Amino acid sequence: MKVSPRLLWLAVLIGAVVVMAFAFELSRSERSRSATIAAPARVDVPVGDRRGALVDQVVFTQEADLGKVSALIESGSLQVFAQGISNATVFRRLRDSKGVDYEIAYGTSAELTFNPAGARFEDGRINPFHQPEVREAFNWLIDRRYVAEELYGGLAVPRYLPINTAFPDYARLAEVARTLEIRYAHDPERARRVIHEQMEKLGASLQQGRWMHNGAPVRISVLIRTDDERRRVGDYVANLLEGQGFEVERMYRTPEEASRIWIAGDPRAGRWHIYTGAWLSTVINRDLVDNLSYYYTRRGRPEPLWQAYTPDPELDKIAERLERRDYATWAERQKLFARGIELAMKDSARVWLVDQLNVLPRAANVSLATDLAAGIAGSALWPYTLRYRDRLGGSVVIGLPGLLTEPWNPVAGSNWVFDTMIMRGLSDTELLPDPFTGLFWPQRIDAAQVTVQKDVPVIRTHDWLTVEKVAKITVPADAWIDWDAAGQRFITTGEKYPKGITARTRVRVRYEPNYLERRWHDGSKISLADMVLPWIVSFERADKQSALYDAAHVAPFEVFRRHFRGWRILSRAPLEIEIYSDQIYPDAEWIVNARVPSVSPWHTLALGIRAERQGELAFSSNKADRARVDWMSLIAGPSLAILERHLQAARDEGFLPYANVLGQFVRKDEVAERYRALTQWYAQRRHFWVDNGPFYLHSVHPVERSVVIRRYEDFPDRADKWLRFARARIPVLDLDGPLIVSAQEAADFTLRISFDDAPYPADAIEGARYLFFDRQGRLITEGDAVPTGNGRWKIALSREQIAKLGVGANSLEVAVTSVHVALPAFATHAFAIVPGARKP
Amino acid sequence: MITDSPQPSPSTSRASGFLRDLRRVGLFTVLRLFGLFVTVLVGVYLTIVIANMGGKVDELRIVQIRSTIAEGVRADRAFSDLPSDQRTALVEGRVKMEIERLRLDQPFIERSFDYLYQAMRLNLGRAEHMHSDAGSRQVYDIIVERLPATLLLFGTANLLIFFSSLFIALRLSRRYGSALDRIVIALAPSSAAPGWFYGIFLILIFAFIAPVLPPGGMVEAPPPEGRLAYAASVLKHMILPVAAMFISSIFIAIYSWRTFFLIHSSEDYVEMARAKGLPSGAIERRYILRPALPPIVTSFALMLIGLWSGAIILERVFNWPGLGTLLFIAIGQRDMPVILASVVIFAYLLALTVFLLDVIYAVLDPRVKLEGGNR
Repeated sequence: MKVSPRLLWLAVLIGAVVVMAFAFELSRSERSRSATIAAPARVDVPVGDRRGALVDQVVFTQEADLGKVSALIESGSLQVFAQGISNATVFRRLRDSKGVDYEIAYGTSAELTFNPAGARFEDGRINPFHQPEVREAFNWLIDRRYVAEELYGGLAVPRYLPINTAFPDYARLAEVARTLEIRYAHDPERARRVIHEQMEKLGASLQQGRWMHNGAPVRISVLIRTDDERRRVGDYVANLLEGQGFEVERMYRTPEEASRIWIAGDPRAGRWHIYTGAWLSTVINRDLVDNLSYYYTRRGRPEPLWQAYTPDPELDKIAERLERRDYATWAERQKLFARGIELAMKDSARVWLVDQLNVLPRAANVSLATDLAAGIAGSALWPYTLRYRDRLGGSVVIGLPGLLTEPWNPVAGSNWVFDTMIMRGLSDTELLPDPFTGLFWPQRIDAAQVTVQKDVPVIRTHDWLTVEKVAKITVPADAWIDWDAAGQRFITTGEKYPKGITARTRVRVRYEPNYLERRWHDGSKISLADMVLPWIVSFERADKQSALYDAAHVAPFEVFRRHFRGWRILSRAPLEIEIYSDQIYPDAEWIVNARVPSVSPWHTLALGIRAERQGELAFSSNKADRARVDWMSLIAGPSLAILERHLQAARDEGFLPYANVLGQFVRKDEVAERYRALTQWYAQRRHFWVDNGPFYLHSVHPVERSVVIRRYEDFPDRADKWLRFARARIPVLDLDGPLIVSAQEAADFTLRISFDDAPYPADAIEGARYLFFDRQGRLITEGDAVPTGNGRWKIALSREQIAKLGVGANSLEVAVTSVHVALPAFATHAFAIVPGARKP
Repeated sequence: MITDSPQPSPSTSRASGFLRDLRRVGLFTVLRLFGLFVTVLVGVYLTIVIANMGGKVDELRIVQIRSTIAEGVRADRAFSDLPSDQRTALVEGRVKMEIERLRLDQPFIERSFDYLYQAMRLNLGRAEHMHSDAGSRQVYDIIVERLPATLLLFGTANLLIFFSSLFIALRLSRRYGSALDRIVIALAPSSAAPGWFYGIFLILIFAFIAPVLPPGGMVEAPPPEGRLAYAASVLKHMILPVAAMFISSIFIAIYSWRTFFLIHSSEDYVEMARAKGLPSGAIERRYILRPALPPIVTSFALMLIGLWSGAIILERVFNWPGLGTLLFIAIGQRDMPVILASVVIFAYLLALTVFLLDVIYAVLDPRVKLEGGNR
């Protein structure tokens, strides 16, 4: 039978399209995995008029054995486990467990760090990884999908670029990212070609499949971490290198052993070539521009490895400008960043492999807001969203791998992630970060006005704040800018800078009307003194004349002092405050969060001040060690007896610290009322941790390793205030269109964006960017999809654009970003352009 | 020095004999204590040197300090807009402060002797990184806080094992070759597996398959508020770990004691007692147990001081807040004062026990005399 060549060609083309569609479908399912597993269908009981927390009690208990977690949740002994699990075996068990569900968080990123010293080491050996081309070729050599799916058991997503795939910058640069990802897609043949060329340039020759130099095989030392999945990654890389003709030394090392070699050692000594690195992010970082400087230039760190970096001058300059935020507009920043990323990929001092996924197990009938980067332990909203889905109230047991790691005090106490998780349940901050975007929302403020100098590039996303640009911001003369420890008074800008002073930003914050009507957990009323005292303490701790002086506080305080330009109270009812600073963040919401003053109960702080002044306790670990006293703990241990003694004395004396200043900010009889309340509190609870959050600290059991917090019934907010953040509203995409497009006709594609099977509101879509790639993976045309209503978006491909794409297998990629979540969603549609009219 | 050969009484006057004995006892005591002290001294110093890899650990610790601080500064958004040189200066300042705090700027050899000096004086001092659960940095507080939990669990288990095995072994020694005896012999190899190994199975069976007992911890969370309820909860939490230790040790212990008693019960003087028709209880007490007492006491004393170190893996399997876990953390964090305190206290306890055993031997066993005594 004779088959027409045209028909055969068409059949091959259709076959190719089907294969591509299948491949892209795989890719899409991989990308949408987090969305599907993070968004199970649910039925939640109504909250009614309940206030504060949605559960009555939370018990934190130590559980370090990951293997037990699923069984403990199944048996009802545990409802939530707050440590991310990255072990695939444990994950499979969790997945198969009845009554157990889980959340997903991003965090650790795995990469390959190269030793760029050379081109020859001190002993004369050549170093192939001195050549940027060889490092770059590793991007093609590595099959990241294999690494994610096989080596990490599906608990990872491929990562190509020096920006985390779950963070806003990735979504903002989605088209650049996709272009580069396609450029650096797995292509071992290309990698082999480049490595071959470069090795020959270095004077090596391939003999019987082995690279030789000066008569000896070229030996590559792979420094492999043995404490996690990187052991398998290291073996995979070693196998790939052997496949390329290198002799490989596999150096299996623990973290400590490895750090001596790769961080502390001199790279010129050539003790290693490749290290299986990993980096952790504990918050959603909305501004990743520093990554270029940190990972690719000598400015990153002072260690010898970083000093061996020789980035392209253009990359170095861009990284330095971005680090200094030396750009006038947001568009300029994006342009610089995009170019920097492209150059970083060419440099490839690091080859990024995957962004690891952490599984956070919980009982199926429990829900809570999980931070996209920091998981449950780093989620600021867990106290406001933790609930049983089928009932209100009840007790929840949360397992932590460690707790009460260090003493708790509000000045320089424990900052361990699991301790701070508990503390978050006890406190109520002025702003709370969105767990899915990292942007802040107001909790105790009504509005904020951010004023910046006109050369400061700042973007605003939410409408609870405004941003204005002015030519010059002059700090008023009555703003407080410093503290006179000897005179016990604030110093104004007028005194310190008689000629005046300017600032780059001004933040004016109006707190909610009843801000100063709220009460601390011990029943005493909050006052302005609770806001002023922490400022004074911060200045005192940096002042050598003060009894509170702490050498460890000086350096960070100096950083603060460098950008701080003063603050003042504009009004007390409603409370309005103005803060001046030279420090900027790209997001206006972040600027407000960094500036807005918070409160801390002055009466518990006063006891600490007394104890530290008398050399009995110290707020910070460093000072405690220097003074050979205990690090102050307000919740347990030997500190309590000392603080109790000071409570009695303070109550008897009517002690108000810095009385000539704080006296202006306390109510009549407040001092007596505070100490009376605290005395009763301590008698009842046996600790001094007084706060104002949705839970209060009920009891602490240090040896038994458990902490109990209970619902604070007088909490002012409705219990459902933050429930909209209990789930990440990751858009689900469905991209549809013709599989075969005629070169003579225009074509339309339809994008459906939904969440929970309902159309995704168009105004919540930040961008729906489409990218058309030709058969060689080159980006030919791009643009924004147009909303047509009901969650549908239209992508039109004109005849001219079709002509540019050319006949053959092409693809359409769509990147959708939502204002609700930093994680972008992708969809792909493969189609073929055929010459002539389309067959009916 | 001690010999086990009985000596005849001296023929000199009682007074001079008493003085001479006193002098000998004094000399023995001094020499013995000195020898033990030197042993402890050498053991503790070796611990210091080995735990620090002869000073190499300093290098590791500095790298670790630098990395931790650099990452901490980088992660802190308050420093995000700092120029690189200022950020580096900030990191370096903090690194310097931490190095000074840990005295890593001093040569290891100098610190090692200071560690030794402080340890031998039992000046436990302050931990470098760790805290007690309640928040104290005093090594004494850190250890004392965990001691009751360790003593309770391991004391209960070990006493149970010790006395059960003695009692059963004594009975079995009289029923040599019986079915029970053969069962015990057959099960003796089961002690090759450590307690934590059985613990895993016990947790699986009794905490998850048939959930009647808690899988770990010392008390339920939150701890019951009443004392009785608290005690009941602790007891409930002790069942599985005690059972795990018991299963792991009981058969080999019975087997050992049984063999020991069998040897003693086949002595001529025991056979003579039997021939005389003495009751079996009297034979056990006077002719078997009495001469067997020194090794039993030794075993008991060593068991008691063995409680000091707890059991790292078992404690971790059962999430028990004991000294074993503490030592594990201390080693992981290279907290020398805590490691040293644990070692030096154990060394002193061991030395003291050995010394006391010498004395107790002399009391219990009339055959034991100081060298130089009359034959």
